[in-house]
Amino acid sequence: MTIKFERLDDYRYRIPATKKMRVPGLIYASKRMLDEIRKDESPRQVANVAHLPGILGHSIAMPDIHWGYGFPIGGVAAFDADQGVLSPGGVGYDINCGVRLLASALTRDDVADCLADLSLALHRAIPSGVGSRSHRRLTNRELERVLHTGARWAVTQGYGRENDLTVIEEGGCMDGADSTAVSERAKDRGRPQLGSLGSGNHFCELGYVAEIYNRRIADAFGLREGQVTIMIHSGSRGLGYQVCDESLRTMIRASQKYGISLPDRQLCAAPLASAEAEVYFAAMAAAINFAFANRQMMTHFVRQAMAQFFATTDSKLGLGLVYDVCHNIAKWETHTVDGEERRVCVHRKGATRAFGPGHPEVPELYREVGQPVLVPGDMGRYSFVLAGTETAMRETFGSSCHGAGRKLSRRQAKKAARGRPIFRELQARGVFVRSDSKATVAEELPEAYKDVADVVGVMHNAGVARKVAKLVPLAVVKG
Amino acid sequence: MLPAGYRQIDHTADLALELWAPNEQELLVVGAFAVTDIMTDGATVSTDAIRPVRIEAVDAEDRLVQWLNEIIVAAVVDGFLVGDAWVELRNNSLIAELRGEHNGWSRIVTELKSATYHDLVVDCGDLDVRARVVIDV
Repeated sequence: MTIKFERLDDYRYRIPATKKMRVPGLIYASKRMLDEIRKDESPRQVANVAHLPGILGHSIAMPDIHWGYGFPIGGVAAFDADQGVLSPGGVGYDINCGVRLLASALTRDDVADCLADLSLALHRAIPSGVGSRSHRRLTNRELERVLHTGARWAVTQGYGRENDLTVIEEGGCMDGADSTAVSERAKDRGRPQLGSLGSGNHFCELGYVAEIYNRRIADAFGLREGQVTIMIHSGSRGLGYQVCDESLRTMIRASQKYGISLPDRQLCAAPLASAEAEVYFAAMAAAINFAFANRQMMTHFVRQAMAQFFATTDSKLGLGLVYDVCHNIAKWETHTVDGEERRVCVHRKGATRAFGPGHPEVPELYREVGQPVLVPGDMGRYSFVLAGTETAMRETFGSSCHGAGRKLSRRQAKKAARGRPIFRELQARGVFVRSDSKATVAEELPEAYKDVADVVGVMHNAGVARKVAKLVPLAVVKG
Repeated sequence: MLPAGYRQIDHTADLALELWAPNEQELLVVGAFAVTDIMTDGATVSTDAIRPVRIEAVDAEDRLVQWLNEIIVAAVVDGFLVGDAWVELRNNSLIAELRGEHNGWSRIVTELKSATYHDLVVDCGDLDVRARVVIDV
């Protein structure tokens, strides 16, 4: 099947609904980006998602779209409550992989001369790397509490501040979680990992606000030029992977049972009202809560390490949580579809919620300006803070991009890094990178990613999210 | 080309494997070696310990994904690295014995999340069996 594109404007391209596609596809990209995007299989995946029953509006892709498995990474799809489906492949393996941002009272000048030591202190504080394990051994009962209450559990255990919870998507605790829907194997896989970064593209990054694009919104988010920030990117670790893997098997059978025709098996799904979907939702919500607790614990480790390093208290350093967003999730939301308010199940896989001003689910603190949308780039250049808009509510089920999106495969990146002193190259750019694995750093080479400025530029120019601030890395702990 | 083996194929975000062997049982064993090689960067693994595996699958493709995920989980949860395997297929059931070593966590240098069903092919020909599987890293 050849994928055809219709240009709607400079930043929107439609894939017309053909054959068994139930809705058209819609890709947000510039012409130059689209030329790159069409080189891989991701546009076909956008079209494949449009085959699923009950899909509403468009099968949507953000400008950081790249080839995933089943759903593209950077994909958004919303499903009707009665006719629609729930698909684990639309959430991904790393359930509630997400990112959070802390803003400190420190300035770039305060840390400029101590980055080598500070980056080491952060590296020591956060369990990271392949198979990284938690500082804390959870009992079965504690794990159950984690799965049911997420970041709330972590705060009650002393990992963080009560007001952190007000600025986490879903308040850091997803409704509908049921620990009994999570297998013993998934629990065994996740239990030793709570409060650890993991490997791959996960990171903890100390940076600074290099540029403000919208002062009013930046003020609302508590961001100012020169301010030191911390970004943490991680997910539900092995527990989420296992929940996804096991659910796929159930959903493959469910797809056959309910007669759902699939262009790709990884898109397997069950009707939202089915028992299979209910069980997956309960397990997914539990994994979401695990990830919230995971990032919350690491936030505490960062605060502790910074306080110790600067021989002060963490509250004197600021280090307040700006926001925490999910990248891989399916959730019930209310959206206007064909002029009518409807409860729909939105799948975001490598995409970020971007609710606009006035939305009741945006924390009160930010309700006037729209929710913060945190978009990490690669470790050598920059990341962005955006704000959700009304356009996102109208066009993308309140969603935006989630990152830069890979340009090189991991193997290509390793090849490009071969023989190069990557750590020293990054240090020459002013970025101290700490990692136990040279291979991971090679895979995460800055040029392995698209320029995130192009990605957020499309979102901003299309009106889906507003540019608020640019963050530049100073020290990065990689998994 | 050897009668049984594997190679890595490029995939933007993940890694894909092409496997081939004279029959499905041997293909599954090759898959176990491939996954272990990737996780351990080709470390030599002893075969002192035994771990039984039983899988019920809907077809050969489902069997391959489930099998590879057994190998991944054995390594990341129990530190069990596979050095050899014996596999028997009975209708939709796979009965196997993994031979390997315990406590191999420290030898795992690449974390694999899961084998996936995306772009999955198991082609049982007259002369051999070939498969392609994408692994989420």
